Amino acid sequence: MSSSLLAISNLSVSFGGVEALTNVSIDVPKNSVVGLIGPNGAGKTTVLNCISGLVKSGSGTFAFEGVKREFPKPHELVDLGITRTLQGVGLFNELSVLQNVMVGADKNYKPNFMKELFGLSGKVEAGLKERAEEALAWTGATGLIGSKPSELSYPDSKRVALARALVINPKLLLLDEPAAGLGQDDIDALAALIKQIKRRCSILIVEHHVDFVRDISDSVSVLNFGKLIAAGNFDEVKRNPAVIEAYLGHTDNPDENSKLGI
Amino acid sequence: MTPFLTAFFSGTAQGAIYALVSLGLVLVWRSAGVVNFAQMGQAMFTTYIASQLIQNNYSYWSAFLIALISGAALGALVDLGLMRPLTSRKNSQLLNSQSMRTTIPVIASLGILGVLKALAGIFWAGEERGFPSPVAPNAIKIGDTSLAITGFDLFVIGTVFLTLVLTTIFFTKTGMGLAMRASALNPEVTRLSGIKVGSVRTLGWAISGIASSLAGLLVTPRTNLSPNTLDLLLIIGFTAAVVGGLSSLAGSVLGGFILGYVISFVNVYSAPENVFIAILAFLLLALFLRPQGILGSKEVRSV
Repeated sequence: MSSSLLAISNLSVSFGGVEALTNVSIDVPKNSVVGLIGPNGAGKTTVLNCISGLVKSGSGTFAFEGVKREFPKPHELVDLGITRTLQGVGLFNELSVLQNVMVGADKNYKPNFMKELFGLSGKVEAGLKERAEEALAWTGATGLIGSKPSELSYPDSKRVALARALVINPKLLLLDEPAAGLGQDDIDALAALIKQIKRRCSILIVEHHVDFVRDISDSVSVLNFGKLIAAGNFDEVKRNPAVIEAYLGHTDNPDENSKLGI
Repeated sequence: MTPFLTAFFSGTAQGAIYALVSLGLVLVWRSAGVVNFAQMGQAMFTTYIASQLIQNNYSYWSAFLIALISGAALGALVDLGLMRPLTSRKNSQLLNSQSMRTTIPVIASLGILGVLKALAGIFWAGEERGFPSPVAPNAIKIGDTSLAITGFDLFVIGTVFLTLVLTTIFFTKTGMGLAMRASALNPEVTRLSGIKVGSVRTLGWAISGIASSLAGLLVTPRTNLSPNTLDLLLIIGFTAAVVGGLSSLAGSVLGGFILGYVISFVNVYSAPENVFIAILAFLLLALFLRPQGILGSKEVRSV
């Protein structure tokens, strides 16, 4: 059993009295891919939002690399070595592809305002650029460097968004529905890429495509109505009656089991 | 000298100042989503500070520098002391509505304008006074022919040009400038990239403070300084920003120069009393032909 990188326990969140998450615990071991699945509205993205500080957690504990701390604020994530992609793409339309990725690398270089004011930051700038180019090459987006995000196809813009998340060499990558809206070829390419990325960092992935999750995940956690109903390796989880019911509403129609890829 | 050249040179010098005002407005609009009605109040106040220093026998240039620094400080102070607490979510039920969250800072900026004018009244008795220029406002002569441009005009154009070059370098070549553009475009993603969007926004207010402070220093040798002199400049600057495209820094500068020429040519070829009608007509025409502004993006800011 490898040691834990991210451990969330008993996370609860409510939005104006409605409980979005109730006592959810998730553990992401080092060097592994954890899939977070569940029906629409189960609270999967809310989990990512809590980890990345976009939603304030009601209660629960957060430990990263064995160190307990408050849930981080969004701008503190990069310092911890955590990056994420958003549902949709979230690129800056007015900036070039390269600049989009450079924004992701910015913090790593601690831009110094006074230095920059006097034009002493040429080296920093060059370093930033180099790392951004590396990340783009990694996600197969080298050819897109000079383009504007508005000129990119949807799969290409996802590559750029992924490069932006990888540019600081994160320890943990949070992916929010990376396969959504992609065709099968692009999903296969993404799966191959994620298997490569996995050698360098852990990944917590929220996803609807069950086949894709089975392909890339070491373990999965299943949410339904804000509660964790199962966790473990995919083949165990898919036989869990609670999971089947969550996906299908009932358990005894074998024809519909295909939805879960069973 | 032909009337055309007279109008052209004076339009360039005036336009340079409008470009600064417009740039200041767009900086705050883009980084904070606020139309800052206090902007020229801030400029008025820092110009009074410079004027006071000069009266106390400081040199023009040290007063100039201190005014710019106070401009930055005042801009940052407005954001840190007022805008940030006003828009922070914890504060009140009222802020739960998005429209209130965008309206309140604008109204607050009107309040700041009032406070600054009142303070100028208290400290400097609200008196109208002249403000010196570092260059004599005489027409430049080549041989016996005097040109339609004064040394002061050249000083204004040169200073603004330098400012625009520095601003362009800042926004296109530095990581901090990139961070500012990114924050304006998508604060959430920027935050996730490890950038403190709040601090970046404060920096936007500070730079806007410098730009408007500079505009105050450059316009008052011609208009004199009183608590109300710069109000007109805000209106023209705002028109320039709308014409150029509220979301575009380059557009705001372009709009400033265009307004400078419109005003100056109407002044020369028509009559000074027609200037305001001309500004209004031009604004309506521009909004009719290109509502998003000359360089503005089609995307409407969600309010």
